[in-house]
Amino acid sequence: MSKKTINIPLGSQHISLLEPVRFKFECENETIVGVDSDVGFVHRGVERACTTKFKYDAIGYVVARICGLCAITHSLSYTVAIEKLMDAQVNSKIQYLRTLLLELDRIHSHMLCLSHTAESAGFEAMFMRIMGDREDIMEIQELLTGNRIQFDYISIGGVNRDIDSQRAKEITLRLRELEKKIYGYIEEFENNWSLSLKYKGIGRLSLDEAYKFNAIGPLARASGLAIDVRNEIDYLPYKEIGFEMQLHTDGDIHARNSVRLAEILNSIAMCRNILEGLPDGDIFTKIKGKPTGEVLVRYEAPRGELMYYVKGNKTAMLDRVRIKTPTFASIPAFSHIFMGENYADAPAILASFDPCLSCTAK
Amino acid sequence: MQKIEIKITKVREEIASFYEPKVWHFLTLNGVALDEETLEVQWIFSRYEALDDVVIYFSKISYDTLIPSIVELIPSAIISQRELVDMFGVPVEGTEKGLYLDEDSMQKPLAGCKL
Repeated sequence: MSKKTINIPLGSQHISLLEPVRFKFECENETIVGVDSDVGFVHRGVERACTTKFKYDAIGYVVARICGLCAITHSLSYTVAIEKLMDAQVNSKIQYLRTLLLELDRIHSHMLCLSHTAESAGFEAMFMRIMGDREDIMEIQELLTGNRIQFDYISIGGVNRDIDSQRAKEITLRLRELEKKIYGYIEEFENNWSLSLKYKGIGRLSLDEAYKFNAIGPLARASGLAIDVRNEIDYLPYKEIGFEMQLHTDGDIHARNSVRLAEILNSIAMCRNILEGLPDGDIFTKIKGKPTGEVLVRYEAPRGELMYYVKGNKTAMLDRVRIKTPTFASIPAFSHIFMGENYADAPAILASFDPCLSCTAK
Repeated sequence: MQKIEIKITKVREEIASFYEPKVWHFLTLNGVALDEETLEVQWIFSRYEALDDVVIYFSKISYDTLIPSIVELIPSAIISQRELVDMFGVPVEGTEKGLYLDEDSMQKPLAGCKL
């Protein structure tokens, strides 16, 4: 059969995309042989706004608007950076409450990804089931913070709401119910033909390629690359609450799904440990002064490593806020994975990356 | 966080002698506008599975200095190089503009944002 090269765009608006991104695929018959990407459809100039429009104590709320899904990771990273620049310490209770919400956020974000992966396999019922169950987490977040998504829960020096024993008990009960449902998903993702066989061996990234392209997040861990920033920081109590890095070796869509499912179970366990062992203390520490010097803070967002570089000058306006988001850093790896794959699998492969263009373009 | 100043002309050699793909994770390139004429360019790395072990190579340059590309050493650097070109308007070897910004957008928005 003769080879015919055609160019096929995916996006900027496409049924399989949640946000605008455009991939231009060069295909020989059905096989992708070239990839170009365009991510700049929703650039909002947040980094510039952080140094020209807002004082340092308002920026935590600005950067939370970068992303609806992982707003809390942006708030946290920026807040920790400012606390480090102001040489401030927060107590264990604050650290525990912050971690609780961060892990709840990871659960709902991973569930969103899994539901879309199921949808891209044509398994609409699974998509509906996961999205329906995800409401449990959204309601838990609302119970804890007052909001479903844009929590504005973390502030410089503390958190904005305490948790009472009644709420803690209800959250624990609801997490227990969710845990049972996650085991049900694992059964489906392992054994259902649409979700398992269709995705095994598709969209593969080897361990060597993961190192080469500096892969991060579930994408890296599904290829066996042991990178999880929660393992490399000490400003949150991950060593105390039972964090376990989840690795897989196959590096395909199925492996990425499996890593996310295992991480949800680990996050539920950590949330339960936090609620059982929540230390006493205030939820706010007064901090004086102005940020000065430069600092770099990393955190493991649901999609991988998030980095904030902040430079202050002893005034209320900062010199620089640099935000490196996980999807942005993974684009070279994404492009590589598409090469050699069948064009018909491209939407599913893309869904398995769990891309966040809102973060990417910021 | 360890900062190491290097000459812009020696960037590739310095990073080539330092970077081991299975030891060091390349985070990103960063730019910090120091004044109207000077930009600090940073190449940021962290060590895998180590507690907060971050190394930043940096160089202070003028905005018209050609920045060497490190894509041959670290393929994933291309995306941060493209971002640097768009945000600061500096030339980076073999790197085109237009990742984020269209032709009719405000150009090099971070180049003088503190000025």
